[in-house]
Amino acid sequence: MTTHSNQNRFAVLKPIDTTRRMSYDPMTLSRSLGSLPVWTPFAALAVAAIWPQIVYAQTATGVDPIGALWRWAPFLITKGFLFNILISFLCLLLGTLGGLAIGLGQISHVKPLRWLCWGITQLFRNSPWLVLLFIVMLALPFELTIFGNTFFFPAWIKAVIGLSLPIIANISEIVRGAVASVPTTQWEAAESLAMTRRQAMWRIILPQCFKRMIPPWMNWYAILTMATPLVSILGVEEVVNLTRQAIEAEDNLPELLAPFYGFVLILFFIYCYPIARLTLRLERRFAVKL
Amino acid sequence: MKKTTAALTIASLLGSTVAAVAEQCTNETWNKIQERGTIVVGVKADTKPWGFRGENGDLIGMEADMAKEVADTLGVELELVGVQSSNRMQFLEGGRIDLMIATMSDRTDRREIVGVVGPNYYSSGTNIMAPKALGIDEWSDLEGKPVCGKQGAFYNQIIEDRYGAQIVAFTGNAEAKQALRDRKCIAWVYDDSVIAADLASGNFDDFEMPLTSEDDNPWGLAVPIAERNCVFGRFMSGMQYNWHQSGDLIALEEKWGIQATAYLQRENERFKDWLAE
Repeated sequence: MTTHSNQNRFAVLKPIDTTRRMSYDPMTLSRSLGSLPVWTPFAALAVAAIWPQIVYAQTATGVDPIGALWRWAPFLITKGFLFNILISFLCLLLGTLGGLAIGLGQISHVKPLRWLCWGITQLFRNSPWLVLLFIVMLALPFELTIFGNTFFFPAWIKAVIGLSLPIIANISEIVRGAVASVPTTQWEAAESLAMTRRQAMWRIILPQCFKRMIPPWMNWYAILTMATPLVSILGVEEVVNLTRQAIEAEDNLPELLAPFYGFVLILFFIYCYPIARLTLRLERRFAVKL
Repeated sequence: MKKTTAALTIASLLGSTVAAVAEQCTNETWNKIQERGTIVVGVKADTKPWGFRGENGDLIGMEADMAKEVADTLGVELELVGVQSSNRMQFLEGGRIDLMIATMSDRTDRREIVGVVGPNYYSSGTNIMAPKALGIDEWSDLEGKPVCGKQGAFYNQIIEDRYGAQIVAFTGNAEAKQALRDRKCIAWVYDDSVIAADLASGNFDDFEMPLTSEDDNPWGLAVPIAERNCVFGRFMSGMQYNWHQSGDLIALEEKWGIQATAYLQRENERFKDWLAE
């Protein structure tokens, strides 16, 4: 009896299973999103649309969230959501080009360059996105004078620049990691063929990296797309801002909040879900076999 | 030698006078509007019924109608740009828009940045929407209580300082009203005309606007500050004078379902043509 209670007092912490569920890595988003059944967000929208009507059943005044949503959907998609997609594409373009350059800089043999690129990567990778957005927004001028011509510098272009900073940093890490993951024998083999470091990098190493960079790259694209509504805070007229304006035009009825924002959720899901599934498939296919 | 110096001095003096006059009135924006045959007007996109979006995304509302009349009077095309409280003055300064009619309260500090011209075309006061059950009947009842509001409204600070209310500011009015219904705050503070419209809609039957409006503040439309005392500014003054005299603004108010304001009635009488009977 006594022994038993003593055993209880000195309970042993069992080893935590880090291989499943608990573990977190940059691919967690695609993995969790990709494993959702397709109907999840639609169920969420249904609840979002029906719930307010149940709650306000007593004070029903002819509020029709679904009807309102139906009328506004074309505008929200064409003028709002497609604009988010455009922003995400431009960010990805900037982020990929910048990330490739900075990532290769991180493995350069020139020390100052390596340190600089490492510093940039760490700085942007570990800063809140919204803070980066605010800084870019305030640091860049409102208008730009090139060769005596003054151009208006729209807020959304600044937002693209601001959002691509963390993408640059993360893709830089992907590039660095991918190059490091190529077995050193490849370098040695290239060297034995009298290739310079640059030749070995471009002709032997990078082509092998390309495949293994695709899944994390797509994963970051999905993260980026879902982050685009952040720019609504800066006054860019993207889907969340236009949704707010649509709710305003429908007399600001609180009953509309859940259905309208639920609709935006569905849009993002429909777009990001296939990307997540594809990412998982490619990840499995390109997995390094040991 | 002396003569040359004198001539040079006179020439430079003349030159500087000309430059000074030219600097005062280049009518840059005015000429730009004529040249491209389009006037770009900044109106609100999130403030029904003054400036908001129709279902196809077009900007409509009372202020959009006013902008249309300005364009028609000028004989140019109209282009509307949606602006927000936070960027409307910047848009005008930066030349993104030529004219701003965006529910802006006419305040001293704003006049230093943009060219507000009189007579003011509208005026609104501050009031609250509160549940009837609470029986609020004085501003001082708000002391120490949470009150919902919209971010960026200048009276949020005033209500806090004067009556000790705790303002909880939201990005949109729908969110603020939802919070009011959820009893996260005892009242929603906003423009009295908007509250009146909401109460009239029948969706807020358990609520009332129990206080006397405060801080009645005229609204101002604005041209670029350099053109306040030039052709464009004078023209917009004339537009506003005419709107008041003809009663057009009162008609627009009715068209957009805004509760008639005493201000427009007063201005309409003030500017009445004394020969017309």
